[in-house]
Amino acid sequence: MSEKKKTTMEILREKVEELLRTDRLPHVWCPGCGIGIVLNAFLRAFIRAKMDPNKLVVVSGIGCTGRTAGYVNVDSFHTTHGRAIPFATGIKFARPELNVVVFSGDGDLFAIGGNHFINAARRNHDILVIAVNNFTYGMTGGQHGPTTPTGAYTTTTPYGNPDRPFNIPHLAISLGVPYVARWTTYHLMQLQNSIYTALHRKGFRVIEIISQCPTVYGRRNEMKNPLDMMEYFRKFSIRKDDATAEEMELTYNGKIVVGVFRDVQGIPTYEERYEELLRRAQK
Amino acid sequence: MKKLAENKPPPKKRGTVKIIEERCKGCWYCISYCPTKVLVVSPKLNEKGYHPPELKEDPPNKVCIACHLCELFCPDFALIVEEIK
Repeated sequence: MSEKKKTTMEILREKVEELLRTDRLPHVWCPGCGIGIVLNAFLRAFIRAKMDPNKLVVVSGIGCTGRTAGYVNVDSFHTTHGRAIPFATGIKFARPELNVVVFSGDGDLFAIGGNHFINAARRNHDILVIAVNNFTYGMTGGQHGPTTPTGAYTTTTPYGNPDRPFNIPHLAISLGVPYVARWTTYHLMQLQNSIYTALHRKGFRVIEIISQCPTVYGRRNEMKNPLDMMEYFRKFSIRKDDATAEEMELTYNGKIVVGVFRDVQGIPTYEERYEELLRRAQK
Repeated sequence: MKKLAENKPPPKKRGTVKIIEERCKGCWYCISYCPTKVLVVSPKLNEKGYHPPELKEDPPNKVCIACHLCELFCPDFALIVEEIK
């Protein structure tokens, strides 16, 4: 009997299994959590890019998304709360040939690690940041965070959230980040292609992924099961690459503008500028 | 999605879905986003107490067309789609 020839998608699925620590599955994430979808898309994009898994480092902070580092079968760091970007910066400085990816949540990257994000973006470090935004602090029980939309109900805001949320793509663009994109977990292929493109770019790259948290966010906001949240993403997301800052802002149960908002090349990274500085100083 | 299941004959490619039941957490994305609706909720429970999906084909129109969409949607890495020729 002759061996059946495998299709591209079948090979891709096998390689995804190789890049996962399958002995630790099933993972800790809730039924219907979007982080698994994002991880799947990232692994597929990485395999498609044909990069060396020995030169990939996944750094993650604390929180639901922070658990990602434990499930990938590559060198990974599970760092202290909010300090995923400083750790990644250190790795990039010590071993510039490595491909450093920060995989973390909104609370970790923008609340506790907000200042690190701003300053790393300003200096244009050569790292890829995958920010999974689920509007809330999931692991600690659904408290409101800096990305919770105005008016949303959470455990700590039972009468609606009075704060304005972070406008992450706008923040990143204002800091001169060369690659800024936003997708939801419903945009499977677009997300995968966006990560694929970002892996080939240089500099600080930010991809914000709107993810669902049916367990603690959805059930307090009239989306009681995972499918309701997915339907919300399907119905309310529109693609607009040249969106203005006002359009990018997330509102409670409002439109989600997705797309690749900025993609420029040729901005020197911090590592390159530092090397040049060393060369000049040693003359 | 509904139209494809009811009116049009499906594409020629055929596949089968392998379900790793102990990884499934019963979110049922695969069941609702399958374009030909071949996956249904299984009546049996897995060891964690969730109902995993089950492949139930009903030819000629309700067949797995190996589109790999359930594989992409599955957050728990529980599905493997294989093409059959």
